[in-house]
Amino acid sequence: MKRTSMKVLHAIASLKVAIVLLSLIAIYIVIGTLLPQHSAPEWYLERYPALGSLIISLSLDSAYGSPIFIVLIALFAINLTTCTVLSLKGQWRQMDSNYYPSFKEDEFTIDIEDQDTVHTFLKRKRFRVERGGDALRAGKFRWGVLGATITHIGLLVLFVGGTIGNMTASEDVVNLLPGNEKRFEEEGFLIRLEDFDMTFDDKGAVKQYISTVTVIDDDGTETTRELWVNNPLHHKGIGMYQASFGWTGNLRVTDTASGEIQAEGLLRSGRTYFHQSSHLTIYLYGYYPEMAIGHDQQPVSLSNREIDPHYAVVLYEFGNPVGSYIIAPGEAIPYKDLEITFTHAVAYTGLLVRSDPSYPVVLAGFLIILLGMFVSFYCYPRFIHFSSGTLRTASRRNGWVFHHSVRSALERTQTRKNKED
Amino acid sequence: MDKFQNIENITFTIAFILYMVSAITHLFLVTKLAKKVEPIAILTALAGLVLHTAAMVARTAGANRLPFSNQYEFALSFAWGIVLSFLILYRIYRFGAIGAFVMPLAILVMGYASLQSKAVRPLMPALQSHWLTFHVGTAILSYGAFALACGISIIYLIDAKRTGDHRILKDPEVSDMLTYRVIVFGLLMLTVVIISGAIWAQKAWSRYWAWDPKETWSLITWIIYAIYLHLRLRRNWRGKSAAWFSIIGFISVLFTFVGVNILLPSIHSYAT
Ligand code: HEM
Repeated sequence: MKRTSMKVLHAIASLKVAIVLLSLIAIYIVIGTLLPQHSAPEWYLERYPALGSLIISLSLDSAYGSPIFIVLIALFAINLTTCTVLSLKGQWRQMDSNYYPSFKEDEFTIDIEDQDTVHTFLKRKRFRVERGGDALRAGKFRWGVLGATITHIGLLVLFVGGTIGNMTASEDVVNLLPGNEKRFEEEGFLIRLEDFDMTFDDKGAVKQYISTVTVIDDDGTETTRELWVNNPLHHKGIGMYQASFGWTGNLRVTDTASGEIQAEGLLRSGRTYFHQSSHLTIYLYGYYPEMAIGHDQQPVSLSNREIDPHYAVVLYEFGNPVGSYIIAPGEAIPYKDLEITFTHAVAYTGLLVRSDPSYPVVLAGFLIILLGMFVSFYCYPRFIHFSSGTLRTASRRNGWVFHHSVRSALERTQTRKNKED
Repeated sequence: MDKFQNIENITFTIAFILYMVSAITHLFLVTKLAKKVEPIAILTALAGLVLHTAAMVARTAGANRLPFSNQYEFALSFAWGIVLSFLILYRIYRFGAIGAFVMPLAILVMGYASLQSKAVRPLMPALQSHWLTFHVGTAILSYGAFALACGISIIYLIDAKRTGDHRILKDPEVSDMLTYRVIVFGLLMLTVVIISGAIWAQKAWSRYWAWDPKETWSLITWIIYAIYLHLRLRRNWRGKSAAWFSIIGFISVLFTFVGVNILLPSIHSYAT
């Protein structure tokens, strides 16, 4: 009974399974990058008549969140965990300072007469040397066998972090005009946008978007900070990132005869305002800080610098379009007994608000993986055996390379010695 | 700035020519037409690298930042990484023949660079980060190493069919082991590239991973080399199957570098 269960365990932990799973995961990911993601099922059926239904049944249209992908990752994690646990015993044994591998008879040998040279060399290279009669044995970095295990553990930590993240992360976009506030109820604070600025380089491209934000805690403490792309603001587990921006125009509706302002306020580009008393809908089609007319006769903006600003406005009465206009700031559109103007434009900032409590776990996973790889690749165990004029080297995965480095180092030692003599 | 651009263009061109000479002499070397040309092959590669470095310094001076941020600059640096890793390996192991497979690659990448726009453009906000330098700097080392490994793997596969003196490197076992050591360095660097990219993305876009095509392809490359590592754990999978994975891995590197920009929409596409 025990035998069979061990057999099953070893089958689950096998390298073959690992390589097959890794290859399947890689193939799945490749397909995910080649196939457009998250379109409607009908689109795939129409675009790929032969394969459409297969694509949908394998969830390749949303590859990275699909059950198949998750199952592949889960199987991989099981395989990895089992194999890592099973290999621990052997690694423990190899870390013992009495452990030596078998030294091959003919491969990787160096002829050298002088035992003292060898001994000095080994000491200098910080090997732990064991003398027995006229023979020497030495080993170094025995703990390096743990490298693979450390890497594997790092991967598992990363999987755990990613999974927690997928279940708990939340995200929202908050658009704020200067003066606007946004409250975070659960965390007990609010932010107020003090100012939003764009800086430009001498060619007119945006150099940076800068939001000046005041964080006000429920206990009254206030701190003001600037945030920009690559410089997010973190407060009570919430990250705020400069993500986008847009324009609003300051709309003013005036009675032509009396000069009385009937309505005034900021209207976002792409939004409408309904002026009830005259059943007039004002649609701010767009704001163009540096306007030009594109080849399709549509207005475009050459940059976000307010060099030659214009608004495109469409008016509707009872739902029917009654006129479209391109106007400069302050320029009035007369409509019946009203005048419609956009006095000036104000930019709003788009902040992405995200909380992901798993990030520290993910970061830890990253660092453990890096550490494990470094140990595997550069602190691998090295062994040396010397008796009667023959030095043998052994290193499991780096036999020739280790042998080569010992040979060159010994040659250097010897030339130095010869010079001294 | 014009002055720097001129220096850059001239040094780039001379480096390119020197690499060509080096590649051709290397080919003579491996086809055994002329065994004594090795010093010429290596010295021209070295001289090319010096001028290539000068071109990069001129670029850095002209743009006031390291040449890491668009397709031209990255290709320029990538080719530099390839030649540098070849010469470092030569210094340690004296296997000049590898140059016959690596120098033509460096020429291709230089050629690709010369087809790209050389204009120095200001960095968009997301790229204004110290992580850029670190991220791309390690990518150059990593890709250079993978190119080299691919070259040695090709030699391995050719040598596996030959015997004795007809082999390019005497001992296929040595080619296999060298490939392994070079890949191990490349993979460690690639891990740093991916991790630094993730940390940077977390700062700039709030998410360390978003399945963007460029980052996804770097993950695919990473998985291919991870498979390579594990193939080598079994004696009978070493050698040929591992060599094939080393070559496939490098194809994936090239696709990540060039193909993704051309074929797939990506937030990294500002790097064109
Ligand atoms: C992408 C996933 C993986 C990565 C990045 C990874 C990483 C590593 C690394 C860096 C090494 C050291 C190799 C060397 O020194 O040449 C290693 C060794 C090893 N890995 Fe993995 N591994 C992964 C998945 C797996 C899986 C799923 C298994 C399960 C079968 C596995 C089994 C092993 C074994 C048995 C060793 C040799 C351990 C030893 O001899 O000390 N690996 N792995």
